[in-house]
Amino acid sequence: MNLYSLYFKFIMISAKASEMSFWERIKPPVDISTNGHLIDSLFNLTTYLILFFFVLVCLGLFGFSYLYHKKKHPVALYVHGTSRKHIAIVVAIATLVFVVIDMQITGISNHDYMEVFTKWPKEDAEVVKVEVLGQQWAWNFRYAGKDGIFNTEDDIVTLNDLRLPTNKKIVFQVTAKDVIHSFSLPNTRQKIDAMPGRVSKMWVELTKTGNYEVACAQICGTFHYRMQAKLKVYTPEEFQKWQDEMSYRTTYAVEKENADLYWGWKWIANN
Amino acid sequence: MVVVMAKQNILSEKEQGEEIISSVGMIVTLISFAMLFATLMMGFAMFRFSAPVWPPAGMTKPSLIIPSLSTLLIFLSSLCYFWYEKNIANKKGLDLTIFLGLGFMVVQAVFWHTLSSQGIYVSSGIFPSIIYAFTWIHAAHIVVALSLLLWLRFSGATVKVKQAQLRVASVGKFWHFLGIVWFIMFLTIFVL
Amino acid sequence: MAFFEQHIHDAPKTFLSKYVISFDHKVIAKQFLWYGIIFLGIGGMMALMIRWTLAFPGEPFPVIGHFLFPNTNGVVPPDTYAMLFTLHGTIMIFYAITPILIGAFGNFCIPLMIGARDMVFPTLNMLSFWLAFLSAVLLLASLFTPLGGAAGGWVSYPTLSTTIGSPGVGQTLWCLAIFVLGVSSTMGAVNYIATIITLRAPGMGYFDMPLTVWGLWLTAILNALFLPVLGAGVMLLIFDRVFGTTFFLAGAAATSGSGDPVLFQHVFWIFGHPEVYILILPAWGIVSDLLSFFARKPAFGARSTALSMTSITILSTVVYGHHMYTTQMSPLLTQSFMMLTMTISIPSAVFFANWLGTIWKGAIRFSTPMLFSLGVVFVFGLGGLTGLYLATVSTDLYLHDTYFVVGHFHYTMAASVLLGGFAGTYFWFPKMFGRMMNETLGKIHFWISMLGLNGIFMGMMIVGYAGMHRRIYNPFVYEYLQKLIPINMFITISAITMGFGQLFFVYNFVNSLWNGPKASQNPWEVGTLEWTIPSPAPHYNFDIIPVVKCGPHEIGNPNLKGRDFQYQTEELA
Repeated sequence: MNLYSLYFKFIMISAKASEMSFWERIKPPVDISTNGHLIDSLFNLTTYLILFFFVLVCLGLFGFSYLYHKKKHPVALYVHGTSRKHIAIVVAIATLVFVVIDMQITGISNHDYMEVFTKWPKEDAEVVKVEVLGQQWAWNFRYAGKDGIFNTEDDIVTLNDLRLPTNKKIVFQVTAKDVIHSFSLPNTRQKIDAMPGRVSKMWVELTKTGNYEVACAQICGTFHYRMQAKLKVYTPEEFQKWQDEMSYRTTYAVEKENADLYWGWKWIANN
Repeated sequence: MVVVMAKQNILSEKEQGEEIISSVGMIVTLISFAMLFATLMMGFAMFRFSAPVWPPAGMTKPSLIIPSLSTLLIFLSSLCYFWYEKNIANKKGLDLTIFLGLGFMVVQAVFWHTLSSQGIYVSSGIFPSIIYAFTWIHAAHIVVALSLLLWLRFSGATVKVKQAQLRVASVGKFWHFLGIVWFIMFLTIFVL
Repeated sequence: MAFFEQHIHDAPKTFLSKYVISFDHKVIAKQFLWYGIIFLGIGGMMALMIRWTLAFPGEPFPVIGHFLFPNTNGVVPPDTYAMLFTLHGTIMIFYAITPILIGAFGNFCIPLMIGARDMVFPTLNMLSFWLAFLSAVLLLASLFTPLGGAAGGWVSYPTLSTTIGSPGVGQTLWCLAIFVLGVSSTMGAVNYIATIITLRAPGMGYFDMPLTVWGLWLTAILNALFLPVLGAGVMLLIFDRVFGTTFFLAGAAATSGSGDPVLFQHVFWIFGHPEVYILILPAWGIVSDLLSFFARKPAFGARSTALSMTSITILSTVVYGHHMYTTQMSPLLTQSFMMLTMTISIPSAVFFANWLGTIWKGAIRFSTPMLFSLGVVFVFGLGGLTGLYLATVSTDLYLHDTYFVVGHFHYTMAASVLLGGFAGTYFWFPKMFGRMMNETLGKIHFWISMLGLNGIFMGMMIVGYAGMHRRIYNPFVYEYLQKLIPINMFITISAITMGFGQLFFVYNFVNSLWNGPKASQNPWEVGTLEWTIPSPAPHYNFDIIPVVKCGPHEIGNPNLKGRDFQYQTEELA
């Protein structure tokens, strides 16, 4: 394939690309969680603040370059920027950046992080608990099954197949078998590293049913890119039905014999 | 007369300059080495404080006798070096330092041998890993320092007195530094 | 200040002592420059292969693909892809930017700009280069081991980088290469620090040093402090791989997993975050100087620029945790790292204000070095500001390990540093080689590079925002990323354009070595010490050690007669 046909292919694809507008194309995946909008709105706010300051920098950069070209402005002003006025301006700019951008987004992010993302839901029957084990190159998921206790015979174990209900809080406990992975749910805007020897956790609450994808975000070897799982979001009723069916299958089917099923751990309670 | 004075001035200025340069260079170098060992100690601290029991289950701390002997030897060798630095014409202090330094290495070798004869190998868990790896790294530096000491011992005749003094001071800083590092390791890994 | 006349060696006579085993800082600088440029080419080629794979998965790499990957008909295979991005990162950071910015400009500028005849430890300097050479040999050798080179990313997190994840010898050789390079750079750093402390010309206080020297000095301090940290980290990694210690091993796959892979991340980023500033500080210094030189007025608030650089240097050592938000540190740590990271924007804002203040009411000459310096202000503005998304914990939860991160750090570490490096190359080329580079070609090079790199890195940020993860061989196995194919193609085409643009530089550089017009003593009309001696700088630089009487940026003083600048050796007019 030579460069001509490359450019040709690019033009062809760009022509086809008009099916979807540019802005449509660069949108992040659809948000299916109750808290994803917090991250999206903070992202947008940061963008506006940054754009404001970047436009200021550009105005200075291009404006001064245009105004003080040596042909237009042959004699430079001899200042060292050490007068009280100049120092005051510089300090004012620095303070402005800190107060307008940093304090804003730090405040919002602190609030979100402490009050939402690490505010673990109370562990009652309403919470769906999932144990996640990353391995090269697949995701294992484990549900407690009927008895509600992990690491027993009636656990539901799936490979690369995550099914979750809407309108219920879901808590993941995540670890890895061999190397570090990262359990990433782009549709909820969250990810958490899966590290061998440690259990990390994450919680989400979903709002939309449908089929989505789970990714591994941390390089974990040659087939890192293939380490993807399917996420199917049910309504709570459908989810219950699926769980019952799976419970039946795991208790009575041959799958019990499979030693790989016994990777789970006792659920680690909060605090 | 004036010319001679000026020459002497330049000469002493040059010597002074060399002294400052060698001490600045050596101090920066030692700070780098200190960061290396500080990182190791930080790793040790992370394991030490995140472990529920220390030493980890199934391990016991090695007996203090041999490490104490190493500590004593390296302490004495530093003392001897101080003695040597006072009068570098007398090489006895240097000989003693080298001898005690070699003794330290022998004791370390004995220590590794006793550990492995007790069935504690480098791969038997985090605590042996720390003991072996840290003492190895320290010992590697001791080997470098010993070769520097030997170089001092056998090259001294050809250089000027002032330069010899600078060399002795620089190598001495390194030797004392390694003594201090060993003492910290001894305290944190073996005693506490 | 300790000043004394350095001993003057005779000029070397044989080819070997003149060009190979040279103790002369200017020759070592050139050696580092060639070394860096060669690796820049290799790393750039790797980048093109990575980009090709992302835009045209399954298509054979043009021209050399069939030769390099005969087993797959010229298509980059996934394991090679992992090696490519690992080595691209490693080579660009440790073998291209470090040698060019720190090795070449550090060696060349420091003694010349502070009025010294050579580095304070010439032997150490020579050893530093040859250790770097040895390290390069080790790195390239790792490619020819049975299982190929390192493939764990440039961060080489365990346990992927231990024998569990990469059993080959390549990873061990990689660790060894990094260790040797660390020793080499630490040697250089000790040398720079001692030189700047002890060998400044009489009359030169710290604030009379050009800002380039400030940048290089702070870089050297960070290097001397934090490269040993990385050294300790990779040493323990080597022990894990070779001797069977278990520092970083844990989990079911480790036979005796009582270690902690996260420890390596801590150690790595304690080094890694200062490393970012190690790379960028020399570029900041160069840009701060060049803006003043070409705007024909004194650097605006030079002292505050120097102090901001210093405070960033200090801050950079305590913010490393923002690389590890997703490892779930304690919330208190997470919050403090976020706050500390945010404070970096204060000194950054100060020198942005100073840079703009410098060109304000100047008489700007748009020579090639100036264009590149202005380019740095632009791209570093973008790169620095987009860092805010990643310093914020909650947006980082989404953006961590996506192409947004890649775009951001390429803006800061690749685009700014590269442009700064080019600015320095165009600026000091006359003093290095005694000839001028071609201005027209330089300007073409600038505009193509500017277009190309903004296309690449802006595109990367966009696809990252759309959710594309890093280090993925074929992102389009994910359904939600398939709409990004055209944007990825656009990035790749920008990359090819950018790569093509560098040919102008290579041609200009090589051609000017022999055919460029002879440079006068002071072609840019600036007053720092290196321009008081002939071009190219003679052996042992200064016949008589200069006495410094004013600052480095005294340009445009209305009291001056005949010319608008004054040398640092002249009394302030």
